[in-house]
Amino acid sequence: MVPAPTEPARIYLSPPSVHAGLTVPAPMKRAVLFVALVVLAWLVWDTGADPVRLARGLPWILDFLRRMMPPDPSVLPAALLGAIKTVEIALLGTAVAAVLALPLGFLSARNVAPGAVFYPARAVLNFFRSVDTLVYALVFVAAVGLGPFPGVLAVVAYTTTSLAKLYSEAVEGVDPGPVDAITATGATRLQVLRFGVIPQVLPLFLSYVLYRLETNIRAATVLGFVGAGGIGFYLQTYLRMIDYRAASTVLLVTVAMVMVVDAISSRLRDRLV
Amino acid sequence: MIEVAGLRVVLPPSTVALDGVDLVIERGELVVVLGPSGAGKTTFLRSLNRLVEPTAGTIRVAGREVTGAGAAEVRDVRRHIGMVFQQFNLVRRASVIENVLAGRLGYAPTIPSVFGRFPRPDRELARACLDQVGLGHLADRRADTLSGGEQQRVAIARALAQRPEVVLADEPTASLDPALTSSIMDTLKAINAQGLTLVVSQHQLETALAYATRIVGFRRGRVAFDGPPGAVTPTVVRAIYGDQS
Repeated sequence: MVPAPTEPARIYLSPPSVHAGLTVPAPMKRAVLFVALVVLAWLVWDTGADPVRLARGLPWILDFLRRMMPPDPSVLPAALLGAIKTVEIALLGTAVAAVLALPLGFLSARNVAPGAVFYPARAVLNFFRSVDTLVYALVFVAAVGLGPFPGVLAVVAYTTTSLAKLYSEAVEGVDPGPVDAITATGATRLQVLRFGVIPQVLPLFLSYVLYRLETNIRAATVLGFVGAGGIGFYLQTYLRMIDYRAASTVLLVTVAMVMVVDAISSRLRDRLV
Repeated sequence: MIEVAGLRVVLPPSTVALDGVDLVIERGELVVVLGPSGAGKTTFLRSLNRLVEPTAGTIRVAGREVTGAGAAEVRDVRRHIGMVFQQFNLVRRASVIENVLAGRLGYAPTIPSVFGRFPRPDRELARACLDQVGLGHLADRRADTLSGGEQQRVAIARALAQRPEVVLADEPTASLDPALTSSIMDTLKAINAQGLTLVVSQHQLETALAYATRIVGFRRGRVAFDGPPGAVTPTVVRAIYGDQS
């Protein structure tokens, strides 16, 4: 007899991709292309994008770079202290957000939360996620004053919602097999979450947290511009004082700091997967 | 042990997976469910522990109502029904013994268990179940480092750790090397010999006939055949599988 074909593994990672382009008729494609070109042309006009202006500005950029040379080593201690503060802001903000995002992440996962919870949770996440860290920093500086603390709050505000979104997508992507198996033992919902879902998503969660830490280091470098602490404060101060050699030291320290954190973080992430 | 009457399951959006199934399975039987893909074998097994929600009909397992039971009652029924899956469905990153311990979740107090604390008798039982399937020496290995056959044995140990009265096995050998089929089926047969009621779905007719005490053939969501393996004639096979055999 013919053996029945085995049923496929039921793993929903992402919805099947839709290749709509294959069925679009050629005239439609030309129309879409035409509209796209018109839109681009309008964008160039409306933003005043002008290669000639860029070319005219080149000498000024070169002059700027020339005046940055050589970097002023005397501000190195201040720059390093600023860099450490920036790393601290990003680390603390990311750590707090990683925890705060946990309940939000599960509540906005379609396969865990009931619709009455899921839709409002998603809406709240999308609302808060549409505002950048820097904007939150402005708000928190106004609320609690200058210094690294409003910076930490800004990182927490943005990262919590963005991590919650990533968490929820990880939860939605779990293999339902182990979840079924744990459910079948008579486990409670909490136990199913703990034994069927968490072991699958935890490595992903940690990897997202590290990824967020990397982007938060970058975001935190400009927090100082609005008075929220860290290395950005020094960069802005030296630029205002037209001390470009000091500013270039700060920039070099920033680059080194980002590279070091990226290297450590990506090495950790590799070990998770 | 298992009483099913008028079971009808419509899967969303509108697939009629089971269309009026009546079946009574006695204690100690080893029932093999046969049928082509889509005949309703998996849906039938998953209805018995309410992993699939029945649309109509009644199910009783081990003297407990399955249909119409509330959340706590469903969990109580599930504790007494072990389940083995085609894809093993182990928690891949957890150790072998942790996977077997999961079989005790229905009994262990929720909050301590969430922190990984299980009563000592539960841990001893899990160990014994692992020994029973011959994998005691792999207790501390990560589940996904085991071979497919070993993983399925761990899954059987997990089901045994529930101290179940019924074990459901949904295509337990379909993902395995054919050479491993008999070893898994032998293990299931040994469990059956200890007095547990087994319901196993299989697509290999020869395996089904070799191990079953009773064959139930599904076709298009209905029972097309119900009888001892000896009564499965070519005519019966055609009735179950249609013209493809």
